[in-house]
Amino acid sequence: MGLEATPASTRRAPRRRPGAPRSLVIASTAVLLFLLLWQAAPPLGLVNGNYTSQPTLIFLAAVEVFRGDQLGHHTWISFSEFFLGFALAFAVSIPLGLLLGVSRTARYLLDPPLMALYIAPSLILLPIMIIWLGIGIASKIAVVFLGVIFPIIVNTMAGMHEADANLVRAARSFGAGPVDIFLRILIPGALPSILLGIRLGVGRGVLGVVVGELYVSQAGLGYQMTTYGSSMRIDRLLVYVLIISFFGYALTSFVRWLEGRVRNWKPA
Amino acid sequence: MIARWFQRHQALILGTSSLIGIVGVWQALASLGVTNPFFVSSPALIADEFVVQLRNGTAAANLGASLYCFFLALGMATVVGVGLGLVSGWFRDFESALDPFIWFKYSAPTVAFYPLFIALLGYGAPTIIAIAFLFALTPIYANTLSGIKNVDRDLVRAAISFGARRIDVFFKVALPASVPIIVAGLRLGVGRALTGVVVAELFGATAGLGYSIAYYAQMFQTTPMMVSIVIVVLLGVILTQLLAFLEAKTDAWRREPTLR
Repeated sequence: MGLEATPASTRRAPRRRPGAPRSLVIASTAVLLFLLLWQAAPPLGLVNGNYTSQPTLIFLAAVEVFRGDQLGHHTWISFSEFFLGFALAFAVSIPLGLLLGVSRTARYLLDPPLMALYIAPSLILLPIMIIWLGIGIASKIAVVFLGVIFPIIVNTMAGMHEADANLVRAARSFGAGPVDIFLRILIPGALPSILLGIRLGVGRGVLGVVVGELYVSQAGLGYQMTTYGSSMRIDRLLVYVLIISFFGYALTSFVRWLEGRVRNWKPA
Repeated sequence: MIARWFQRHQALILGTSSLIGIVGVWQALASLGVTNPFFVSSPALIADEFVVQLRNGTAAANLGASLYCFFLALGMATVVGVGLGLVSGWFRDFESALDPFIWFKYSAPTVAFYPLFIALLGYGAPTIIAIAFLFALTPIYANTLSGIKNVDRDLVRAAISFGARRIDVFFKVALPASVPIIVAGLRLGVGRALTGVVVAELFGATAGLGYSIAYYAQMFQTTPMMVSIVIVVLLGVILTQLLAFLEAKTDAWRREPTLR
């Protein structure tokens, strides 16, 4: 919302076409202009088409890629790496985060190493993972795991910490035991924060798969990117970039949707 | 007496002891021959190598190369991100026009463009700066935008009724009110820029911490690689602490007068 600072009485009524909101029209025009400029620039000699490709060429490349480039195979590899790494990280980080949220001693003990690893780019461990686990899918699973685990632990811990003290007190005075408080107040209260951690983790996990595969791999979407990138097939490279972007966007949107559900479900 | 002292400094004592514990266990495993130092190195080896790298200047050279790219990328991302954020926060149509591109930037894997950047800008610093710039840009832009957009409407109304023009509202209300959230965006940007620099250095670099990690990995020299990893971790902690300090500073002036 731009700050419409003029008082309501003198404010111009926003002229809107029915059906198409102004912002949508502007956004589509901007994208269309960008695509047109992109299409027109190489023939006009403004940029080198070898580097920038063109929207039409990318569309044709996309058709080729979808017809036969073993897209399914590479997607499956990347997806397995992401999913396995994510599932492992999830299984470890949620219980650990909950434990750290409950136990102060555990939190004091593990906070410094956890924070250091949360802040540091976990991708720097990629080369050593490759030494330990080889160039196959195991090293990518490890990198996804390392990328996903810290945001979830830290945010789960923070969420448990932010639980409303009054609710806890009220429950206790109505005779709730520690288990009841944990299951019925702390965990539901921490859910939005846990989902935030998961959303951050998803972003890092996708980056982990892509960077891991770009670095060294034998198959996967990132592998295809290296292949086409190093042979300057920019059109195909961009097709794969778009595919990854789509997956990243879809996953993040899904978690956002969950976050919205949880927020609405939460009273007040 | 001791119990109370322990209570007060519990966080510090336990935190330090866990770090010492990790280092101790790691060293013990290596010394007892449970783990192979060829693969996992050991704290003693890393400390020795660290001293060697400090003496012969390798550590300083790598750190310097990475910091150079880091600060240039962060500086550019700050100027562009805050600039664009301010304009989009103020002009709604500009935000709408920019939105699809930011959206794409959010979900696209920036690193995948590195062959393109290398072709356009060449190996080394320019490519790294470009990738780190793109990494850091989004959070800085997004925070500036939301800072300007979510300025307290009552403040704006009050300013207007006291005769402020639109430009006054921008410079005297919206901009100062957004400073803390812009700084929070910068803190995110610092982390992203560091990731961007190190990751880009894994690929197309000739110097820097990320480059040295990739280089030693290819040589199977775990110990010097660990030295660089430790430096990156320390760098991340130091930079984030600095920004947290800055954040507290920029937020302090507003807290004092409003005694709620």
